[in-house]
Amino acid sequence: MSIFEYNGSALVAMVGKNCFAIASDRRLGVQLQTVATDFRRIYRIHDKVYIGLSGLATDAQTLYQRLVFRHKLYQLREERDMKPETFASLVSSILYEKRFGPYFCQPVIAGLGDDDQPFICTMDCLGAKELAKDFVVSGSASESLYGACESMYKPDMEPEELFENISQALLASVDRDCLSGWGGHVFLVTPSEVQERTLKGRMD
Amino acid sequence: MEKARVDLPPKGGFSFDLCRRNEMLTKKGLQLPGFRKTGTTIVGLIFEDGVILGADTRATEGPIVADKNCEKIHYMAPNIYCCGAGTAADTEAVTDMVSSQLQLHRYATRRESRVITALTLLKSHLFSYQGHVSAALVLGGVDITGPHLHTVYPHGSTDTLPFATMGSGSLAAMAVFESKYKEGLTREDGIQLVGEAICSGIFNDLGSGSNVDVCVITKGKTDYLRNHQLPNPRTYISSRGYSFDRGHTEVLSTKITPLKLKAEVVENDAMEE
Amino acid sequence: MKLDASGLQTFAPHRADPDNLYPDLSAPPSFDLPGCPDFDGFQKKAIQMVKPAKGTTTLAFIFNEGVIVAADSRASMGGYISSQTVKKIIEINPYMIGTMAGGAADCQFWHRNLGIKCRLHELANKRRISVTGASKLLANILYSYRGMGLSVGTMIAGWDETGPALYYVDSEGGRLKGKRFSVGSGSPYAYGVLDSGYRSDLSIEEAAELARRAIYHATFRDGASGGVASVYHVGPNGWKKLSGDDVGELHYKYYPVVPAIVEHEMADAPPA
Repeated sequence: MSIFEYNGSALVAMVGKNCFAIASDRRLGVQLQTVATDFRRIYRIHDKVYIGLSGLATDAQTLYQRLVFRHKLYQLREERDMKPETFASLVSSILYEKRFGPYFCQPVIAGLGDDDQPFICTMDCLGAKELAKDFVVSGSASESLYGACESMYKPDMEPEELFENISQALLASVDRDCLSGWGGHVFLVTPSEVQERTLKGRMD
Repeated sequence: MEKARVDLPPKGGFSFDLCRRNEMLTKKGLQLPGFRKTGTTIVGLIFEDGVILGADTRATEGPIVADKNCEKIHYMAPNIYCCGAGTAADTEAVTDMVSSQLQLHRYATRRESRVITALTLLKSHLFSYQGHVSAALVLGGVDITGPHLHTVYPHGSTDTLPFATMGSGSLAAMAVFESKYKEGLTREDGIQLVGEAICSGIFNDLGSGSNVDVCVITKGKTDYLRNHQLPNPRTYISSRGYSFDRGHTEVLSTKITPLKLKAEVVENDAMEE
Repeated sequence: MKLDASGLQTFAPHRADPDNLYPDLSAPPSFDLPGCPDFDGFQKKAIQMVKPAKGTTTLAFIFNEGVIVAADSRASMGGYISSQTVKKIIEINPYMIGTMAGGAADCQFWHRNLGIKCRLHELANKRRISVTGASKLLANILYSYRGMGLSVGTMIAGWDETGPALYYVDSEGGRLKGKRFSVGSGSPYAYGVLDSGYRSDLSIEEAAELARRAIYHATFRDGASGGVASVYHVGPNGWKKLSGDDVGELHYKYYPVVPAIVEHEMADAPPA
């Protein structure tokens, strides 16, 4: 069994017109045993930058705490929030520092940059950035998510349409994965507001 | 003093503190994950006025195409670029690191970087890690001493060649070069040949795919032709995608948080009395 | 009359006779052996390569009105869900059913084989085989293949001349008689519900609901169980399927969702 399948996870982020959405499942398991069904893998860094951490939950939480710490230091020093691109580079360098003993985490980063341009990005656990214009996925359901997003995604979606699209892609994908699902979490971020929704999904 | 030390690595470099834990996990039977690789075709050749580099744009994770249009030609200096194959994180990190060392060197010397400097920095780093940093590179550039093309292997050995290929598609690409390369190619013919070599990798090697990136470096001028050829356009998607009605997804709860506008503080001298 | 001793025959595989490719059905089944020196190792590796339907929840219990048998319907290969509509309760004959856990192919094949043997017994002896006898036939076959890679965990439930009967049989050769069993990766969860709610004087409806609930709770906790919770009852007149509920809907029946109001977080009032 791969270490990425120890806790199980599904993560996806999609870009819309001047907005983005990032979604995850809600399961925390220990191999096949479901331990929690209200687990959060998507964390807020600041109003317009979110990070989802799939993979080994213990590493995800440690990594998140280090990221918050580094972001707070940045805020104190620079008196401003990090741009999503900067934040992605920070995550990448923190991961690459542990090149020979990595955190077992595949992050998905999504944010609104200057002029409210959406930015999404994913990495492998060594910090190799993959910038995409449309969608990024990670987690134990990533293969089904690739398929779902590849066919469901379309460019320049309005926020509500984007929400439906990402939710359906997520729910469809986790229904083919034993190790993720049990509902969903979606953050829909527009320049003026953040909508956080929990989705009704199959609980098996 | 040690207690007060913060989490920041003081000088950079690798941290090995998770190695023992990870080794323990592998011993318990958990499989360590595969890393993102660039199963790649990268090439370079010298033509009459300089160097042309080429690369495909596929990144893979095992059997999955992780990125259909990634950038494999990395910036080193305004007159030097470098194609990377191998573990994506390593090629990215090693080229970034050397490019900043070159930048600092330029600040110190106020002279254009030389390709040989980049080559030495790359090979000494790679050699010191004995092949564990798995980056296979094609380094090309034009400096005061003329055009240069080198290949760098993960263990730190290097070659100096008039035409070079690397990555999983290197054999397919080299076949094209061997049959068609000649000295003193024109710019157009050079780009054409590089495109052909990359396409040969794209179509005959499973690890390579999607588009062709080309970078032409001549004395005093560099042209990065991103997606120079698009031989694999998408044909299989319906133009409109799927449409879902609003409210189609069942929602358990919603929380809406308006974002506060950040007040901008304009600093001027008048305030600093 | 000839005594039926097929249950006592050895089933050790041997090379099939090339001149006799179609032996008659009553002959003990046997497979061609692969032509490799390390047969056990080959078998184990082959099994590891294709091992579908590993995770399962099945359960069965005897109560005053007969036997209740229930199962989920998910088939998985590693983390991938290959089907959500697998029939894990196999009807052997109108009075006897078996459940499926472990390798899907192993279970299906040997249950079909058991069905044939039971029918032949019926024709030879002019009476239906007892559940005890049927389960022993299966257990003997599985024992003869022990250590060769079969993966079967099954319960044989039925009604015969002695009344309701329930046996647990597995590919390690075990055969147990009992009142209450659950098999599969979800069985610990199912046992929890089953043991706490079980009484022998349950009505059929109550018993079916207990079985359904136990399967539902197992599908909730176990990643490899899910799909549809089907419930069968075996009474004096044979088995009958009582229900098949999608556990995706069952969850929201057991735990109805309270209609949520949209929560608005107010922005701070702009400073005057």
